[in-house]
Amino acid sequence: MNLPAHRVHRRFRRRHGLSGLPSGQKFYRIALAGNPNSGKTSVFNALTGQRQHIGNYPGVTVEKKSGIVQIDDKLVEFIDLPGTYSLSAYSLEEVVSRDFVLNEKPDVVVDVLDSSNLERHLYLLLQFQELGVPIVGALNMTDEVEAKGVKIDSEQLSSILGIPFVKTVGSTGAGIERLLEVALKVAEGQLSSQKRHLNYGKQVELAHEAIIDTLMLDESFKERYSLHWIAVKLLEKDQDAIRKIENEHRLSAIVLQAAKDWRERLEREFGEDCEVIIGEQRYAYIHGAIKETVKISRRRQVVDFTENIDRIVLNRFLGIPIFLGVMFVIYQITFKLGNPLSDGVSIVFTHLSLFLTRILPSGPLQELLTNGIINGVGGVLTFLPLVVLLFLGLSFLEDTGYLSRAAFVMDKFFHIFGLHGRSFIPFMISTGCAVPGIMSARVLANQKDRKVTILVSPLMMCGAKAPVVAMLVAAFFPDHATIIFWSIWLFGWLMAFVIALIFKQSLFRGAQTPFVMELPPYRLPTLKNVFIHMWGKSSEYIKKAGTVILAASIVVWFLLSYPKVPTRTNDVSVENIPAIEYSFGGQLGKMVEPVLRWAGFDWKIGISLIAGVAAKEVIISTLGILYGIEARLSTDQPHVDFMVKNEIGKDQNYSPLMAIALMVFIMIYIPCIATLAMVKKELGSWKWPLFQAGYTLLVAFIMAVGIYQIGSLLGLGG
Amino acid sequence: MSAKIAECKVVQLSEVESGKPFRIVRISAGGEIRRRLLDIGFIKNENGRVIREALLKDPIEIEIKGSKVSLRRSEARLIDVEELD
Repeated sequence: MNLPAHRVHRRFRRRHGLSGLPSGQKFYRIALAGNPNSGKTSVFNALTGQRQHIGNYPGVTVEKKSGIVQIDDKLVEFIDLPGTYSLSAYSLEEVVSRDFVLNEKPDVVVDVLDSSNLERHLYLLLQFQELGVPIVGALNMTDEVEAKGVKIDSEQLSSILGIPFVKTVGSTGAGIERLLEVALKVAEGQLSSQKRHLNYGKQVELAHEAIIDTLMLDESFKERYSLHWIAVKLLEKDQDAIRKIENEHRLSAIVLQAAKDWRERLEREFGEDCEVIIGEQRYAYIHGAIKETVKISRRRQVVDFTENIDRIVLNRFLGIPIFLGVMFVIYQITFKLGNPLSDGVSIVFTHLSLFLTRILPSGPLQELLTNGIINGVGGVLTFLPLVVLLFLGLSFLEDTGYLSRAAFVMDKFFHIFGLHGRSFIPFMISTGCAVPGIMSARVLANQKDRKVTILVSPLMMCGAKAPVVAMLVAAFFPDHATIIFWSIWLFGWLMAFVIALIFKQSLFRGAQTPFVMELPPYRLPTLKNVFIHMWGKSSEYIKKAGTVILAASIVVWFLLSYPKVPTRTNDVSVENIPAIEYSFGGQLGKMVEPVLRWAGFDWKIGISLIAGVAAKEVIISTLGILYGIEARLSTDQPHVDFMVKNEIGKDQNYSPLMAIALMVFIMIYIPCIATLAMVKKELGSWKWPLFQAGYTLLVAFIMAVGIYQIGSLLGLGG
Repeated sequence: MSAKIAECKVVQLSEVESGKPFRIVRISAGGEIRRRLLDIGFIKNENGRVIREALLKDPIEIEIKGSKVSLRRSEARLIDVEELD
């Protein structure tokens, strides 16, 4: 899809709501590429400031950041491509990056390189160059290299690779203006940036030329892709390139046969896989270029700061305790600081709701506004302090380079259950609240690991399940409250691990994904970058997740409030019924009672569990309503807890065995609506939250029935 | 130099002790793992060093092409190296 300029403009205007570009104003698109840990994000922040728009690449859940800046008479859109090591077809991020360049044809790709690790970073740059797009290289973090006494001759490097290089320091902004100037010159065609590919050596070049000859047979294909690139990819046996040929080349059979023949010939000659031959040739070429351009002018003994820290942080015995300590601090900051703020937000909205109830005439509209909308918006905003503080912690973990160390120390244990070391972070955060927990699953680069982690994280005991379980424990096991409460807490972890293992063995089966991971040098994040990161995530939460949570909570509110108890009726039986009992949710609760009986639950519990899908703490207040407590008391939470505890403890229908079954059920069953909305947002489809609601309900029911029935048989039901 | 190499025996990278340098001889992985290793700098004749191992001896930290990389032991088993002293 090569869009003509006027369509680009139209789309641009539609997306950004501008009434129109002044005639004659030029519009350029600059894509930012680079390895992870190249400092790409700080370069992007330096270029765009806070004018960032966070979205997804079409059809996938890979995050896309972009920003538009007015520069003199030009309008420039910057697109941040995902950080990758290569441009193979193995990961979603790599396919997204190259498809963006191939399809959207940005005017320039700026590749950000860590100057202290040029070899591996140029390896990616050359692959971008092969896509047939003008490249500018940003030699980032030059301050660090120069401090080590290493000099990079950027002009010499430019002339060898045929592309302009600019020295930058992303964190301070040094060289950024020059980088932009050069990039725009290249975009305008005033400065050349060669699209030629590197030389792969005689034999590979021969194969390469021959494949290009077959590709030329289709005139229209030639227009769409860089033939150099396609030919190299065919030699690498790149599955995505092969698909492109199958679908888009008129003479695909001839091309693919030629590619296969040449591959086999090269593999015979080199005794290696073709993909490896090409990779090694790339490295060899880079090695030569570096030899000519990087000079160690004075050898200076520098303290290896990173290694000194790692000696302690990655110590075999200290590693895990240190990691747990770091997580403890992040957890405390998120929840100890966040919960009072959340409560504050909640109180403000309760008062707003009460105020509107007083001043508005009562009726369905007033109820929709106060109980539906205002409570819903309040529900969205109560999570906001947690999201902001969580991302403060996470961006610190990520930007310093500690996150990879966390994976290193925890990986062995998590790998037993088919998970990645980094899965610990979403698990831990979910013991506070699953909503930020699921957002934090972004630390997992692999999509499979991320999905499994997201599907099981809500099994943890979160801040909303805790008071419900604590209430039940206090009512039925007053003498062993602590031990039972913590057993249930551990039970959540156990379930998460077991179900993750089951998913990995069934649904997400397949080749093991590589763990190979860089442990980047430690760096201090700048305040500005942390702030931009937090701001972006928080506004994204409100815009994307907030709307879904709001809509879902209005639906749940409706189901629990309608139909109304008829006001004037001769039927005595409905007179004193709480409204919730008469609602759709209440009716459902009563309808499923015969089934719930197998687990020892009655209709009161049934209705409360249904209401608990709105938010788990609602289980207590619903039981309160059904016991007629709220009518007698103020809505003071501790009082309700206490009263419900007394009522439930006295109820002849309930036994400690039922309480165990109920606690197990509450731990596992359907995540709250905010969590489900978040899962939809993060995984991009309703399929996943629906699956999650289904499997958790099934497992919860089977376990609760099992516990109750077996317990009864053993005579524990009394 | 070739005489010196001949003295070294070829072992799996997972067998190399912490602190020891090595040279890569052969990588027998395939598919995605092979590609990831290649992209991060594991190629024939490249020198590296085992830095340390985690609590249960897995994963391990390797220095290669001037940066530090973590590998699971199962992945390191796919890389044949000769120990250098």
